[in-house]
Amino acid sequence: MRRGLVAAFRELDATCDAIVALKKAKYDFTVYTPTPRHEIEHALEPPMSPVRRYTLIAGLLGVTFGYWIPIWTSEYWPMVVGGKAIGSWIPYTIIGFEVMVLVGALTTVAAMFIHSRIPKITATTGFDPRFTHGDYGIYVEAAPDRLKEAEATLRKFGAVDVRGES
Amino acid sequence: MASFAEPLRPNIASADVQLPGVRDYEQVDNEIIGTLKPTKGWFAAFGVAVALFLMGAATWIYQIYWGLGNAGYAPPVMWGVYIITFVFWVGIGHAGTLISAILFLFRAGFRTTIYRCAEAMTVFAVMTAGLFPIIHIGRPWKFFWLVPYPNWRLLWPNFKSPLVWDVFAISTYLTVSATFLYVGLIPDIAVLRDRETNPVRKRILAVMSLGWRNSEPEWRHFMKMYLFLAAFSTPLVLSVHSVVSFDFAMALTPGWHATIFPPYFVAGAIFSGIGMVFTIIIPIRKFFKLQHYVTINHLDAAAKLCLFTSMVVGCAYLIEFFIAWYSGVKVEQDYFWNRVFGEWWWAAWIMLTCNMIFPLSLFSQKLRRNPSWLWILSIFINIGMWFERFVIIVPSLSHEFEPWQWGTYAPSWVDMAILVGSFGWFFMWFLLFIKQLPVVAIAEVKEVVPPRLRSHARGHGIDTEGHHLPYGTETPGEHD
Repeated sequence: MRRGLVAAFRELDATCDAIVALKKAKYDFTVYTPTPRHEIEHALEPPMSPVRRYTLIAGLLGVTFGYWIPIWTSEYWPMVVGGKAIGSWIPYTIIGFEVMVLVGALTTVAAMFIHSRIPKITATTGFDPRFTHGDYGIYVEAAPDRLKEAEATLRKFGAVDVRGES
Repeated sequence: MASFAEPLRPNIASADVQLPGVRDYEQVDNEIIGTLKPTKGWFAAFGVAVALFLMGAATWIYQIYWGLGNAGYAPPVMWGVYIITFVFWVGIGHAGTLISAILFLFRAGFRTTIYRCAEAMTVFAVMTAGLFPIIHIGRPWKFFWLVPYPNWRLLWPNFKSPLVWDVFAISTYLTVSATFLYVGLIPDIAVLRDRETNPVRKRILAVMSLGWRNSEPEWRHFMKMYLFLAAFSTPLVLSVHSVVSFDFAMALTPGWHATIFPPYFVAGAIFSGIGMVFTIIIPIRKFFKLQHYVTINHLDAAAKLCLFTSMVVGCAYLIEFFIAWYSGVKVEQDYFWNRVFGEWWWAAWIMLTCNMIFPLSLFSQKLRRNPSWLWILSIFINIGMWFERFVIIVPSLSHEFEPWQWGTYAPSWVDMAILVGSFGWFFMWFLLFIKQLPVVAIAEVKEVVPPRLRSHARGHGIDTEGHHLPYGTETPGEHD
């Protein structure tokens, strides 16, 4: 059975030191920060967000659809004017571009939702409202026998408050 | 205190504008959330906006009942105040995306405290703009014929028509801008959620914040998403007003058929949008006492952008005259002569004075750093940019190729009431926004404030003994 500890920190460097120590001790943990900080990113060294792949694929699909729909409709019900091309790609670039942006942007947001696991039904486990204000936070999950050691590490690096979470 | 003062001449090349009057995250939360408390002034402004909107809505109903003939259209001028106002409001929206997306990609620090206001302005301005083609067609219940889906005979809209391009451009712009605004708000809504005491409001904010918790993985994906959204929005800003300009430039009408129209429209849109940003943000910073967030240096940097776009627009006006002369086309030359000395000379001179001459005052640093002057200038810019669209549309249509076709145009009370009503509609939404959601981005302002560190107590806004310095509403270094 795994349980958790929620720790609140006031200072950024203390949080980063605690992250490095917890990583070294191979704990599973989540960090909270009121605003994105490069210092935390450097301490954590997280993997690159996969959101960019969704953006690329959705953008390509969008531009393909954006060209296809006017070309297909023009061929389906041709409007013959002078010697002009029925499926004229230059004016259809506008449609292609706009659909690329629309599909690409909405998919990028959807990818962020999927990978951030939002919407969340509950925001209480392993979380403290202080983390949306000014404090940094770490939620450590571990087997009960390792929690004492984790608490000692968190307090050693300057956690102002540590509480258990089940 | 002096050692923490903001430099008088900030480095605008890197746009590194600091907030020395902001000492910690708690102050940011308290002061920005403090703007959500309703005041008597807010109720008065909201009442005026709703009254104007209701007047405009009632006039529109009157027009629908009695017909589009009440709108002042008279052949050959069949585009008038509604299309002028449509282009005006689309233009207003552009500064929001410029400030939030383009300046984000350029890492311009001065965007941080003004971009939320500008983004909200974009969404409400494009919402307002979208109403005008519908009002203009006279039978608004038929507007969906422009939406790209086939009718019962499987006939699709003509994708070679600039009006269909407009539908794609504006609807994409509205969707992406609204998405940009909302996702940018999620972390701030989470801050509001955790501070709210009213259970009903807390519940609503909990749903709107989608359970955001400020965790590192959330921020990591959020920042990547924000970067790509900005990357998509940047060419979108340039494309949307280019597409709007194609409504004119693809026609053979004198004064319209010009290759300079797309960049000219884009620069004009950004110029008018920055004008509206000043109109809105200067009263907000004064009434909500946010002078130490939206500092004089922020306004100075935005004023330089305003001056730059004014000069681009001015250059475009002059090039239009040059091209008309150089083309050797008689109708084109007559049109431009008529523009400044003909029937509509007063409109053209309002445009030239407000958009080209008055903004030159921003070469003076004193005036750039004077909020009262910036606000007055912004009103001139709004007026000048509305008249720019008037000058493009009305004189061109009233003096086309054949003299027997020439006519005149006078807006009716219906046109004017709907125009005024559109301002009521825009400000009604904007005032509702600033009372429900933070008008300054809480999370992004926190990025600018140096974090509290254990290793050295002395830092931003903290004295040698680790005590917070007192702060006033005026940012140090704001005054010459």
